[in-house]
Amino acid sequence: MNGCIVAFCCEHSAYPAADLAGKLRLHYPENIRVIRVPCAGRVDVIHILKALEKGAAAVLVLGCEDGACHHITGNTRAKERVKYCNMLLKEVQIDGRPVAMFNLSPNAPHKFVSAVNEITKIIKESGR
Amino acid sequence: METKIGVFLCNCGGAIKNIDFDAAVKKVAKFPGVTCVNLSSDLCLEEGKKKMISCIRGENIERVVVAACSPEFQEHILREVLEKAGLNGHLLSMANIREQCSWTHDGDVTEKAVELVKMAVNRVRLLQPMEKKELPVNREVLVVGGGFSASNTALQLSRVGLRTTLLEKEAVLGAGTEELESFYGFDTGSMISAVEVDKNIEVLTSAQMTEVGGKIGDFSVRIRQEGGEILRKYGAIVLATGHQTELALDSEPQLRAEDEAISGLNIVSQEQFCCMLGNSGLETEPKTIGFMFDFSDENSRFTTLATLNNALEAKKKWGSEIYVFCKNVKVDSEGMEKLYREARDCGVVFLKSEAPPRITAENGRVKIEAKDVFLGEDVILACDVLVAEELYLPAEGAENLSSLLSIRRDSKGFFQDENVHLYPVGSEKKGVFFIGGCRGDLDLGRVLTDISSVVMKVHELLSSGKILVELEKVKADPQKCVACLTCIRVCPHGAIQLVRVDGSKEVAEISDLACDACGICAAICPAKAIKFQGYRDEEILAQIEAIQEL
Repeated sequence: MNGCIVAFCCEHSAYPAADLAGKLRLHYPENIRVIRVPCAGRVDVIHILKALEKGAAAVLVLGCEDGACHHITGNTRAKERVKYCNMLLKEVQIDGRPVAMFNLSPNAPHKFVSAVNEITKIIKESGR
Repeated sequence: METKIGVFLCNCGGAIKNIDFDAAVKKVAKFPGVTCVNLSSDLCLEEGKKKMISCIRGENIERVVVAACSPEFQEHILREVLEKAGLNGHLLSMANIREQCSWTHDGDVTEKAVELVKMAVNRVRLLQPMEKKELPVNREVLVVGGGFSASNTALQLSRVGLRTTLLEKEAVLGAGTEELESFYGFDTGSMISAVEVDKNIEVLTSAQMTEVGGKIGDFSVRIRQEGGEILRKYGAIVLATGHQTELALDSEPQLRAEDEAISGLNIVSQEQFCCMLGNSGLETEPKTIGFMFDFSDENSRFTTLATLNNALEAKKKWGSEIYVFCKNVKVDSEGMEKLYREARDCGVVFLKSEAPPRITAENGRVKIEAKDVFLGEDVILACDVLVAEELYLPAEGAENLSSLLSIRRDSKGFFQDENVHLYPVGSEKKGVFFIGGCRGDLDLGRVLTDISSVVMKVHELLSSGKILVELEKVKADPQKCVACLTCIRVCPHGAIQLVRVDGSKEVAEISDLACDACGICAAICPAKAIKFQGYRDEEILAQIEAIQEL
């Protein structure tokens, strides 16, 4: 799956936002694979690392906006885990492939698209 | 023997145009375990559902993958279809080939669609059936508070047939209802006597909650009364503890420092002013009265209403000159616009100022200086009485209640923080609700709406005496659990408790009733003891496994 972006999408925010992007026919790169999760807080470090191990170009964790998480603390926990992942990757010196967390609300399809575009740009710049 | 997986592809009545379905069917049929692939155009219609049911029965399919629109729309309906066909509703996985594939990309996306189906097939293979069961719940409700909203809630709950306990910390019911009588002309006396005679309502006065345990349907509450402590069980808890007001004088430090000559009589609160209005034996009637609001607190609905009412009353009674200093007059409640117009027509002067006015003392009167936005000049006014700005705060004890129930409060201390995902009257803890002043600056109309919504919600939850839940959706394995308490600490819904099994060992147990299925505990458990059906590690990793090289 070289060149694929794995996106863990919270079913209360990012997943409906991605659906809305579809309804509005907003286009984004085809190489994104969405995995639906009940809350960004469900995403564990192992999920992110496995995706990278399989060859994902980037991993996105998409959750609710700050202070408006459906499960109160899920998005902050996800953010911590993404930070921890980045720290691990740096420590073992396989950093370079982005692992990022974005916050969006279910009615923000443009934010979903811009998150995907942003990460695609980072991948392109790093020459992968 | 391999699990038989049936894949149903749907072109959504021709809405999916850029997928070559014939080619997709051929590719999908080659996936391991897939025994039949169906192509239809109307899975969401009766006709399509019937075909699906007969196919599941005919081919003895054990798991189902549906590749069509987003699971947001059809997942729950398709689960019912599966159950009609004799399968467990949870043995379904959906591939979103419409919103997140066909509609967002130009050109042929057959390959991506096939890959999405493969992800779903990989996941569905690992899914486990989940049973549903009706769990019994306690039908009694605890309403904390004894004011207007609490009494009214108890009356309405009694009307829908739920037994209610009113827990009031004061010695009598009806604290704080005098305001309602003077502002809205509301007869609180008859309301309270109705509460007292109602057989479905038990009133506990001078009583306080000291300990709360359990979960929705089974809260155990320890109540301290004068005579001692009692332990009660409730199905739901409604907080209607109301508000309190505080003079916003601390934001005017120069006032006290400069002149101590201003006695308490010159600067009063709305409540004190109300008493002055009611007092017929006043020595001197105030000739000039100043009012202030909306400077230090943006939520000024309640103080605005009090100001307008009191100003009108004073105008009628004493014919005084009245000046209102404010940032904005917010008239978003019912009848407020009318009241505001009435006040203006009577001759009440409203002065808009951006900064809070400077208050000093002058010859025993209160001198107010403010820069009027429209005049562009300073307005200086010496008045006999200044009704100072009031801050609207949650009633005393809110902090204690929130820590007892372990629920969050907003930045001002009100219950129900600003999280848009929660109901306005609901909390992150199932079965705990808030009404009225304890959750924000609300007027009577909004309080009544709160009461109705809470009564409906509680009735929906408890009236039948049982709640249908999915059993063991999130479960901690007692063999693996080491009772490290991490999950109990992180659970945002307070659904996890420590229970004793096999005599000595203590393990975490997740309540099916209180759990809201977020999976935070499953991700954080260091022993990997918690399994979240449908989103177990295996199921998520299997999806990643399916993503091929592009």
